[in-house]
Amino acid sequence: MKRLTSSVTDGHGFDAVLVGVPFTFLFLLSGLPLLYNVLMSFQEVDMFSLGSFIRPFVGFENYADLFRQPETVPILINTVIFVLGSIAGQFVIGFGLALFFWTNFPGASWLRGLFLVSWVMPGLVVGAIWNWILSGDFGVLNFMLREMGLISGNIFWRSDPSFSLWAVVLANIWLGTSFNMILLSVGLSAIPGDLYEAAEMDGANAWHRFWTITLPMMRSTIGAIIALGLIFTLQQFDLFAAITDGGPNNASNVAQYWAWDLSFRQYDFGRGATISVIMTGFVMLAAMVYVRSTRHEVRG
Amino acid sequence: MSDTSRDRLMLVVALAMAAIYLFPLYWMYVTALKSGSDMFASPPSFWPTSPSWGTFAYVWESRNMGRYLWNSIVIATGAVTLVAVLGTGCAYVLARYRSVWVDIGLFLILMLQVLPASLMITPIFVGFTQMGLLEYPRFAVVLAIAAKSMPFFVVLVRATFMAVPVELEEAAQVDGNSRIGAFVNIVLPLARNGILVSAILIFMQAFGEFVYSKSIIQDVSLQPASVGLNSFMGPNTSEWNNIMAYATLYVTPILAIFVLLQRRIVSGLTSGALK
Amino acid sequence: MGIRKHSIAIALAATCALTGLAARAEDVTLRLWSLDRDIQPAPNLIKEFNEQNNGIKIEYRQLQFDDVVSEAMRAYSTGKAPDIIAIDNPNHAMFASRGAFLDLTDMIEESSVIKADNYFPGPLKSATWDGRYFGVPKATNTIALYYNKDLFEAAGLDPDKPPQTWDELLEAARKLNDPSKNIYGLAFSAKANEEGTFQFLPWAQMAGASYKTINSEGAVKALSLWKQILDEKLASPDTLTRSQWDSTATFNAGNAAMVISGPWEIDRMLTDAKFDWGTALLPVPQEGAQRSSAMGDYNWAIFSSTEHPEEAFKALEFFASRDSTMYQDFGQLPARSDLPVPPTGDANKDAALATFVEQLKYAQPRGPSPEWPKISKAIQDAIQAALTGQLSPQAALDQAAEKIKSIEG
Repeated sequence: MKRLTSSVTDGHGFDAVLVGVPFTFLFLLSGLPLLYNVLMSFQEVDMFSLGSFIRPFVGFENYADLFRQPETVPILINTVIFVLGSIAGQFVIGFGLALFFWTNFPGASWLRGLFLVSWVMPGLVVGAIWNWILSGDFGVLNFMLREMGLISGNIFWRSDPSFSLWAVVLANIWLGTSFNMILLSVGLSAIPGDLYEAAEMDGANAWHRFWTITLPMMRSTIGAIIALGLIFTLQQFDLFAAITDGGPNNASNVAQYWAWDLSFRQYDFGRGATISVIMTGFVMLAAMVYVRSTRHEVRG
Repeated sequence: MSDTSRDRLMLVVALAMAAIYLFPLYWMYVTALKSGSDMFASPPSFWPTSPSWGTFAYVWESRNMGRYLWNSIVIATGAVTLVAVLGTGCAYVLARYRSVWVDIGLFLILMLQVLPASLMITPIFVGFTQMGLLEYPRFAVVLAIAAKSMPFFVVLVRATFMAVPVELEEAAQVDGNSRIGAFVNIVLPLARNGILVSAILIFMQAFGEFVYSKSIIQDVSLQPASVGLNSFMGPNTSEWNNIMAYATLYVTPILAIFVLLQRRIVSGLTSGALK
Repeated sequence: MGIRKHSIAIALAATCALTGLAARAEDVTLRLWSLDRDIQPAPNLIKEFNEQNNGIKIEYRQLQFDDVVSEAMRAYSTGKAPDIIAIDNPNHAMFASRGAFLDLTDMIEESSVIKADNYFPGPLKSATWDGRYFGVPKATNTIALYYNKDLFEAAGLDPDKPPQTWDELLEAARKLNDPSKNIYGLAFSAKANEEGTFQFLPWAQMAGASYKTINSEGAVKALSLWKQILDEKLASPDTLTRSQWDSTATFNAGNAAMVISGPWEIDRMLTDAKFDWGTALLPVPQEGAQRSSAMGDYNWAIFSSTEHPEEAFKALEFFASRDSTMYQDFGQLPARSDLPVPPTGDANKDAALATFVEQLKYAQPRGPSPEWPKISKAIQDAIQAALTGQLSPQAALDQAAEKIKSIEG
């Protein structure tokens, strides 16, 4: 007993406790639910069997049902569009801003940090603001586009099925751009300056330097950022809740919102769990890409 | 072109870009100050000509914001405390050793970080129901948020601990400190800033958390401000000045903290996130 | 300083509350959920009820329209249901059939305030399951056409001759529509929730369809009309996502010349609308066609899990005793055949009353079916698919009919 106490205060037991408790906690609250999710995807779970431990086992019925539903495929396509559109926008704008601030003028770092306010704001508030900006008859964005002569009639961002998904993409780009920019700035500042000096002496122009030095040197950073973007984009929920609610007619619905909707609005926990399981598989795949791309950094 | 004029030009361009980027935020503040009819004016005015400050008091009262914000603070504080207590030690051990096991541990932690809350909520909700945890909804949300954000905290804080030289700790042990003593007296104080910044980030995230709170907390008097905003907006598309006033009251404190601590937060974030 | 002042205030409040509690330690507390806003019946009736100090206190919680069913289901399944709820009448059967609501038949038989014979058969039927009463109608309503008389005059239309048929409605909407002034001809709600179904079914029924024959010719004709209205931009594209309450707000603000909604709008309209308005029966497909409308509004129900069934029923009796002034106070119609609704003295309000009482004669209940939420979802999906142009009205309604058939078994 005494040895155990002394090990905890002064030996490897100390490390074991420090690591063991949080890992147990994480296992109970993240690992177990993950497994429970898989179990529920094979059960019929509705409001009446919510509290009981023994529920009807339905095999792959939930999965089969899901793919019989006409909305499944469009929602999965929406998810892909949402992810690709958001990542592309966040990355391109973020990279542009990072390159701009990299030129380093007085006030650059402070201003750059200011951009991050979009990232610290609650997603629901960001969604509320964009919902109002994008409003059809009175939205300020429609007003600006009209004044600039880009559109002749108002765009009904939230109610028009050809725009509603893009309304959320737009808000998500705004939300995530600054985070991309900051991470890319870090990557840029890690490139040794003498590489550029040498290239300049060789007579390479700015465009050339970008393609031959900047991009290759940034490869691992870019890989990590795109993987991170994928992860964050698939986590996005609040913007859907605040802007379109997945509508109209699922035109802006994505898998992560649909899973919640099935569970908590339609009370079909079994099917909600089924989508969760499928999506979790995809997210884990993205995470592995991320870990691979940062592996050498992880090792420090 | 001389260097100073180049700098000035860049600064002007940067300011212009910041203005465009931060316009949504500006629009929130302007709308909050507009009266009911100004709000739907066409063309819209971009400057509150006759600001109606009463909106804030009205929204604060009628939406019961004091209670909502208090719940947000309770939930965020609970989550940060739990995360800091459990996560700091974990990050320390993972920074202190190099082995396959550490790599596996880090990998597992990263895997848990990536799971979207809206997918995890189904099993968490059903599990919590069965365990009777829904009797204490705010506590249940604190647990769920802590599990969600702890991996992020561990990754950030681990980077901080990596910067603390092992030699210092060993020297303390030679001086007669136990492992705990060395950890508490030497390592923790040195890593204080990194831990603090990470904790602030977690606090901000938890302060705006929505999915878990919306799904788990049914009792209005225990709901946080995010859920309050959602139930204000949900059925309502005509009171945008009031909604924006709500949003203003909700986020201005976070934004103030962020702008004040901006430099530290950004450097804390960049040191950990990519490593 | 500020904080100290605050805490003194809290301490004072707590002391008051404590002494109050001590005096009435035996108070029974009931929890009641409903959709009603502060200017609508539930919170006001509760206030009155609590002021009686009869040993029963009611705590009120306001729900959002979309959350009523799901919150109630979740609360019931986790053992946290309130004592009393106001439930939308088509959803009543689902809860009653699964034993979630208390059977009130015996209590109603003994009651001197609530008598089954006093209610309109439609609303009462919605609170009935298997021949037993599982609730009491809270109010009843239906939808009709509100129109802006000033805009009618400005567009050269006779403000005393509102449109009577679908063609006339289209015609009027076209004349009233004025995009340059941000005015739409018509406003209604095709939202993807019960409101969409509620607004759509009357049109289908007028053309001879019902929810059981939702892909018949009449329903297709009705949906095609809606689609035409939206395609011609005679109504805002936001009709697809806006509730009835919000759609009517645009009418009150002068941004729509006509709106289809119910009597619950009247009181707000009296204060918000700065123009002369009138009401008319829903236009019919052609002159002489049968009229129809939707029967709406909520029923009071007591959850079977309540610990205080008698006290809860007392509360319902109190609410029923206030039915006679419901129109006067809240612009809502009691579901009572024994109570004539007296004129209020406000010309607009009384004219609207006449319209709605007339329209109610044609109101048809939705269901009752224990699967109504699913049936309704199928209809909403069809409406949204057709109006967004993803499917033709016929194809969308065929899909809905298919789903309804499989739901009803």
